Amino acid sequence: DSHIQYERVGADVTMKCGSMDWDAAVTWTANGTDIDESHLNGSYLILKNVDLTQSGQYSCYEGSSWHLKYQTYLRVGTPPKEPVLMCRSNNYPKGFYCSWHLPTPTYIPNSFNISVIHGTREMVCEKDVFPKNRCHIRYVQLFSTVKYKVTLTVTNALGKSSTTLTFDEFAIVKPDPPESVVAKPVPNNPRRLEVSWQNPSSWPDPESFPLKFFLRYRPLILDQWQHVELSDGTSHTITDAYAGKEYIIQVAAKDNDIGTWSDWSVAVHATPWTEEPKHLTTEAQITETTSASTSSFMPPPTTKICDKGAVVGSGAVAVCWTAGLVLAAYGVLFI
Amino acid sequence: GDSWGIFTFLCAALCNLPALPALNCTEELGAGQSIQKTYDLTRYLEHQLRTLAGTYLNYLGPPFNEPDFNPPRLARVERVPSATVDLDLWRGLTDNARLAANYRAYSRLLCYLRALDGQAATAELRHRLGHFCSSLQGLVLSIAGVMSSLGYPLPVGPAGPSAPPGTAGAPNDFLKKMDDFWLLKELQTWLWRSAKDFNRLKKKVPPAVVTLRLEARGF
Repeated sequence: DSHIQYERVGADVTMKCGSMDWDAAVTWTANGTDIDESHLNGSYLILKNVDLTQSGQYSCYEGSSWHLKYQTYLRVGTPPKEPVLMCRSNNYPKGFYCSWHLPTPTYIPNSFNISVIHGTREMVCEKDVFPKNRCHIRYVQLFSTVKYKVTLTVTNALGKSSTTLTFDEFAIVKPDPPESVVAKPVPNNPRRLEVSWQNPSSWPDPESFPLKFFLRYRPLILDQWQHVELSDGTSHTITDAYAGKEYIIQVAAKDNDIGTWSDWSVAVHATPWTEEPKHLTTEAQITETTSASTSSFMPPPTTKICDKGAVVGSGAVAVCWTAGLVLAAYGVLFI
Repeated sequence: GDSWGIFTFLCAALCNLPALPALNCTEELGAGQSIQKTYDLTRYLEHQLRTLAGTYLNYLGPPFNEPDFNPPRLARVERVPSATVDLDLWRGLTDNARLAANYRAYSRLLCYLRALDGQAATAELRHRLGHFCSSLQGLVLSIAGVMSSLGYPLPVGPAGPSAPPGTAGAPNDFLKKMDDFWLLKELQTWLWRSAKDFNRLKKKVPPAVVTLRLEARGF
C-alpha cells in the first residue's frame, strides 16, 4: 500500500521498509532508480538534509525475491509562513470580500480556513469559485459601530500560521476603477479634450451611494500630472491641453463620503484637434491604407502623413510641407 | 399656517447660532436646497468630529486612544442611539421615517454631548465640545427645517435621555470612559449614515415639488 510522507526542507528522514527487520537485505529505489547502499543503515533508508529535488516515490524491495515491501511518496516542503490577507468592499453596501495568499510557496498542499466575527456573531464567508483564495460576505446590517475581525489560518502537514485583520465597515470601502474611459478631441478646439467614463459595474447603487472622481492627465512628453477632482457627473472637458500633443488620461473613483480611492483606470490616449494645413486637401476621416505604411519613397497624393493623431507636435506641419514640396518638385519634373 | 410659522422661527433660530456655515434666511429655501445644506452640515460635522474625537480619546488615555481598540458592547440601561440598521429596512424607509430617525438620534446625541461638555476637565476640551455642540444643534434645527418644509410633523417625546448620563450613570471611572468612547463612535457612525440618508433624500425631493405643496396649502 502507498503512503504520502511530508518532510521539512533540511530535515533528516529515516524510512523503514514496512515491517521488515532492521537487518533484512533490501533494495531501495527513488523514482525507479536504485539508491546506493551508502544511504542505508541496515534496511532503513537515511536521507540527510533533504531538499526539494528529493521529492518523489521511494520503494523498498526485498533483496532476493524482489517483492515490493513498502512504497511511499516523499513530499519535501515548508510549513506555511504568515499569510497575506486583504479585505475590501468594492460593492458597498452589499458586502465585502477577503482574499489571501502565501508570501512564499510551501511546495506541499495547504488548506485555508477563514473566520469572520462581528461583535459576538460569527459570519460565514462564502468561498468564491474563482479566484480560489477568496471569499465574500453579505452585509446584514449597515452602519455598524462594531468592528469586523477576520482571521485566516493556513495549515499544511508541516505546520500552521494565521493572521488577523480588524476593521470598521467604512474603512475597507474601495470601489473598482471607472470603466469605459473615453477621451476625444473637440472639433475646432485645439486645447480641449472631452473625457467621459462610467461608474464601475461592481458598484451596485450609485444613486444612494454616489461616487466622486479624480481625473489625472499629462502630455506624454512631460512627467508631471495635472489633477481635477469632480464631485459628480461622469464627464469632464480638459481646457488647457497643449495644442497638438498626445495626452495620457486616467480616472479614479471614491465613495463620496467614506473609504479610499480606487486604483487608476486603464489609461487612454488622445490628442487635441489640430487644424489641417490649408494647401493640402484632406478628408475628415481617412481610413489608414497600407500605402501609408509601405516604404514607397513618393508620398501619396492625399495627406495620409498629416492624418491627425498620427504624428505629434509641430513635426506634423513639417512633414506636410515636405510632402507638398516633393509633390511640387515631381510636378515640375514632369512638365 | 403653523408649518410656515415654525419654519420661519427655525430659520431665525438657525441664523442666530454662531460658528455655522452661513444660511441666508432671506432666500426661499426649497426642500431640495435645505437637504443639500443639511448634507453639507453632516460632512462638516464629520470632519470636526475627527479632531474632537482624537483630542477626547487622548484625554481618556489608553486603551481608548489605540486604533485597534475593539471592546465588546456592554448592555447598559440607557443606550446611545445607534445608526446600525438592517440593510433592507434602511432602503425601505419612507422620507418621513428617515428624517425622523435622524432628528431623534441627533437630539439625543446632542444631549449626551452637552453632559460630556459639562464634565470636561480641560479648557481645550470644553472649547472644542462647546463648538461642536453648537454645530450639532444647527444640524438638528436644519433637519427640523427640512421636515417642516415637507409637511412632516416633528417627532415628539423627550429630546434626550431622562437623566443625563454621568449623574445616575456609570458607577466607576472605567465604565464611564467606555460610555464616552461609544458615544463618540455612535456619533461618528450616525454622521456617515446621515450623509447617505440625505443623498437618498436629495434624489427623491426636487425643489419644484415643495413649492407646489406650499402653494396648495394656501401660503
